[in-house]
Amino acid sequence: MAPQEALLDPTGMSAGADDGTLAARPVSLRGLRVGLLDNTKPNATMLLEEIAAILQRDHAAGEATLYTKDYFGTPLSEPLRERIAAENDIVITAVGDCGSCSAATVADGIMFERAGVPTVSITSDSFFMSGRAMASVQGFPGFEFTAVAHPMASLTETEVRERAAAVMPEVLRILGVEEG
Amino acid sequence: MTMTLLTDEVPTVDADRVRELVEYYYENDWTDGLPVVPVTETLLEEFLAATDRAPDDVLFTISHLNRSMTVRLAAINAAMAGCRADYFPTVIAAWEAIAKEPHPARGIWQSTTGTAPMLVVNGPVRERIGLNGRGNVFGSGFRANATIGRAIRLGCINVFGLHPHKLDQATQGTPAKFSACIAENEEQSPWEPLHVEHGFAPGDDVVTAFVIRSVVHIEARHTQEPEQLARDLIDTIARTGALIHEYTSALLVLTPEHAQVFAQAGWSKDDLRTYVFENARRTRAELAAVGKDALSHKTRWRLPSTHPDSMPDTASASDEPDAVASLHNPSSVQIMVAGADNAGVSAVVEIFTLNPPREIPFSQSRIGGER
Repeated sequence: MAPQEALLDPTGMSAGADDGTLAARPVSLRGLRVGLLDNTKPNATMLLEEIAAILQRDHAAGEATLYTKDYFGTPLSEPLRERIAAENDIVITAVGDCGSCSAATVADGIMFERAGVPTVSITSDSFFMSGRAMASVQGFPGFEFTAVAHPMASLTETEVRERAAAVMPEVLRILGVEEG
Repeated sequence: MTMTLLTDEVPTVDADRVRELVEYYYENDWTDGLPVVPVTETLLEEFLAATDRAPDDVLFTISHLNRSMTVRLAAINAAMAGCRADYFPTVIAAWEAIAKEPHPARGIWQSTTGTAPMLVVNGPVRERIGLNGRGNVFGSGFRANATIGRAIRLGCINVFGLHPHKLDQATQGTPAKFSACIAENEEQSPWEPLHVEHGFAPGDDVVTAFVIRSVVHIEARHTQEPEQLARDLIDTIARTGALIHEYTSALLVLTPEHAQVFAQAGWSKDDLRTYVFENARRTRAELAAVGKDALSHKTRWRLPSTHPDSMPDTASASDEPDAVASLHNPSSVQIMVAGADNAGVSAVVEIFTLNPPREIPFSQSRIGGER
């Protein structure tokens, strides 16, 4: 009988040993600077600004700054990432409502976590699995993010505010905020 | 007449073991839905011996996925796809051509858009490895075509994690996501082949990579008039359903019979390209009827001029605002010959490009290294 040989792994994943550790959580948001990363998809700006307003009103968060990506389908550029990480204490990224942009939104969040900045990435629920797969490919399967109900692009201002309110408990949970 | 029993010549197997191996790959999600060939170091070594490239050489990186296609991983997936080792240099060139394309590295194969790679092979390698460029060119039945295209898809799934319903969010996708690899029928083309047209020698073996959305057949057995035939092709190139951004791009895969209609009328490839470029237009009213008469500010996707995010397209500010060009450059149309010389059936391959389109909507790589 011929010698037995092992079947080969075609993914190369076993070779990866990436950092999958979440940044330290802040406990309280009081006075913390909030970075908002708009990926240019319709209604992303409004959703982010509404979430920031709630964080400031109900949790005494500090100044919020809006940043805009060049292209929704890939993660943000390194210079912008470094700038946002330097200028903020927490980051919210939104909104992943398509195949490439949801994965990129999650990849952005992972990069901020690896840079030590607690981050909440927001996709739409149709693309939650896409974000999950991105976290896995990135070697960070435990990365936590959240989803708003699909669709986002066609919503009115009132509906966007409802989406923001609905996602707040998850935003606070992911940030590790313990105060009410 | 006597019958000879071939019992002794029929291979025997451990049937349970074979089934177990096939199922092992399914259990690990390492397939495209079809069974794959089990790969061990011995088989891998045959593939690696077919190239001068080092196993750790990187052929293609998708940086935002933090993942790279090495020669070794390309070989494992090519062997799993059913390639022979002598196909492997073509697979390597295919990955290198894909790596030169801008959209794959930017995440297009995660996209709802649902595009797929399509490979065109030119040069003597077609004969050496049995690549079909004659009949049933987009169909099944040819090992080299089927498995070289599949090697790319299995690599996308396994190395880049592009599993459908997960990282691959294609709304519908295309049958080309199983395999799309054709050879040019250079021998029955009246023109120089695709690779020679773009600066390679006739004896070079070259892979051309396109990012495609669909393949649409053009049924036209009725005419010897080049203008009629060209307009039949244009009708498909300029269809409104193909329009995402301001302009579109296409590869014409002409059957030898259709190529001859143009060649016998004295048309070069450039003559055909220019005619298509000048005539591939839709009226403003036709675009308005489907809600694609303007562009989005941020994404520049087509949408209705009544949409709050709309801005006028380029044609709106031109001398002919009501005749909207479907193509940005004559070179947005590429031309090759493939298929049997038995009927007037060609294809328009719809190419995905962003706005503004690149002048040449594909990338090429020579098999066995740079020219």
